[in-house]
Amino acid sequence: MGRRRQTEDTTTTTTTTSTMDGGGGGGGGGGGGGGMGNPCYVYPDSPSTPGIVTPDVTYDRSVYMNGSMTMDDGRSVAIWGFTDTIAGGGMDASGSFPSPAMRVTQGQVVHTRLNVSMMNGVHTIHHHGIEPADHADGVGHVTWDVDGAYTYQWRPMHPGTYFYHCHTNTVLHAEMGMYGALIVDPPEGPGTLISGKATYDSEAFWVVDEIDSSWHTLGWTAGTCGADVGLNVLNPDYFIITGVDASGSSAMNLPPISGQMRVGQKLLGRYVCAGYHPQHVRIPSGLNAKIYISDGRELPNPVSTTGFKAISGERYDMIIEPTRAGNYIVEFDIVDWITGEVHGTARTNVVVTN
Amino acid sequence: MNRRDFLKASSASLATTVIAGTGLISWTPRAEAATISKTFYITDGYQNLITGDNVYFRGFSSSNNVVNVPGESIVAQEGDTIRITITNTLSTTHRFVIDGVVDSGNIGSGDEVTVEFEAKDAGTYLYYDSNNAPYNRLLGLHGGFAVMPGNRDDQLYDGSPTFVQQYFWIFNDIDPVWHNTIANGNTPNTDYEPRFFTLNGLGGRPPGAPGAHDPNLDAITDPRSALHGHIGDRTLVRIINAGKCDQSVHAHANHMEWLSLNGEIREDIWSKDCLYLDKDMGIIDAIYPFETPPDSYPPVSVGAYPMHLHTEMSQTAGGGFYMFGAMTDIYFE
Repeated sequence: MGRRRQTEDTTTTTTTTSTMDGGGGGGGGGGGGGGMGNPCYVYPDSPSTPGIVTPDVTYDRSVYMNGSMTMDDGRSVAIWGFTDTIAGGGMDASGSFPSPAMRVTQGQVVHTRLNVSMMNGVHTIHHHGIEPADHADGVGHVTWDVDGAYTYQWRPMHPGTYFYHCHTNTVLHAEMGMYGALIVDPPEGPGTLISGKATYDSEAFWVVDEIDSSWHTLGWTAGTCGADVGLNVLNPDYFIITGVDASGSSAMNLPPISGQMRVGQKLLGRYVCAGYHPQHVRIPSGLNAKIYISDGRELPNPVSTTGFKAISGERYDMIIEPTRAGNYIVEFDIVDWITGEVHGTARTNVVVTN
Repeated sequence: MNRRDFLKASSASLATTVIAGTGLISWTPRAEAATISKTFYITDGYQNLITGDNVYFRGFSSSNNVVNVPGESIVAQEGDTIRITITNTLSTTHRFVIDGVVDSGNIGSGDEVTVEFEAKDAGTYLYYDSNNAPYNRLLGLHGGFAVMPGNRDDQLYDGSPTFVQQYFWIFNDIDPVWHNTIANGNTPNTDYEPRFFTLNGLGGRPPGAPGAHDPNLDAITDPRSALHGHIGDRTLVRIINAGKCDQSVHAHANHMEWLSLNGEIREDIWSKDCLYLDKDMGIIDAIYPFETPPDSYPPVSVGAYPMHLHTEMSQTAGGGFYMFGAMTDIYFE
């Protein structure tokens, strides 16, 4: 499939800006390349939070746009994401990829405090699969894109695996890496997946994504004003699991991506289809995998699986209970959304000992 | 009318007449089966898209001087007789097909054909032109067809979870090179590279954009697409993919109850926030329950949320223009 040409976004075909507060949130961006001009159709604002109460748990997040990831072939690819401003990632410091996880307990009132500095444009946090009030949903065109500080208030009511990601110019910002895991535990806490029904001894995190490195030269406004920057064609060249280049062996024997367990124990595989192309998941039958939750909702009947296809944004929580020792390879084919051709495969393993 | 005349007329008229149907589908069950008659004209024309590109389309249209993409949805109930008269105003041969239900055979240039068939199995279907596949379908010759179970106005199939209103979401993707190659009488010989993504024929126009809030231009506003409801207004959405891209249908604020996949009733109903909609005529039926957003605190009963495809390339137009792709809004009123 042909790669669409990349054009600088500095000559805009449309100059209309948003109806809210006019133009952009500061212009700059750390990524280099196109899209360094003012954005179009963003809705900058940082109001106070309606109905705000004292939370049970607070997450502080800032934005970094100067990160990078080194692939197995030695190439460095630009990465953006969120930092934990309390845990040492200061404003605008470079951060981890994926962004720091959030782990909360069902029923807790949670604050996600997003702080975006002038130099990093505007962003939001959307807690994907969490369904709060619209002012806590992080979708700019129905509310606002954060250009200062804003607190999202929410109360998760369904245990399972979720993720959070930026919802400003989402097509680009999520591809650039602006996401992190979000786990909701039942009241019993880690070790229980579903109260009274499903428990586990350890976890593996399979956040599977593809990277088209040609997108990773763009600036944060690229694609907002109408210039053709090729965002209709995602032609991935790297295939990653939870921030690790997983085409080869780098994601093998690497907890918490790979599982390490003994016969008789239960491993919880938390799978997130974080890319944009479909994925075909292949799980060795010897792992005896059974899906209990998808998209944060308990299935009426758990489903045994040796593989399934998944689409962007889906999550599957599966309990793995092998009866024999072995080194089991779990594979994720990233499949073109049009042709069905396999772009690449991400791999990790589950090591089972007696 | 020769092509030159038609283009003159259509390039002006298409922008305002592309919409077929007016919005919410109302349905009242009847004790007796009825005959539903419909007339379609196979027409063509150019639509001026947000990028300024003029792109060629064909449609099953309500009159011979408009182009409707998709064609107007048809809703019947089990036992009804459906009689559809199709007039082909174009110079090419076309066809009207509902897989497993009806096939008009070839409809030659200038011909008028009437098909008659009985609505049998309750569910959601795509009508389309299977000739020159997949080109005629992609160019816009498609629309939604639904069969309600007899005597029920609130179920997808006998015994299904209930709803109080229903919508069609018909997705398509558009490679203007393919469309305009066909307009010139040729067969595409390039890789398929869609540059526009539509919901019920329209892309989004975010606030502040030209055409924003215009129901004839903006999929976010279009009453055929945007869901409106109060708490408890359980809404059936009949989701069809006329295009060639696998899609992830992602709703905010509520999970969707996933009732069927490609004509098969699902044994277990899963609540999903992302639904895998297959390319090339995949069909899903799902209920958007309009429940209080479960994770809101304090709980809210009103608000606006998006439904968008999470296969995010589909959120663009012309390689940029984020939010001008296949998306709409959901309004808790």
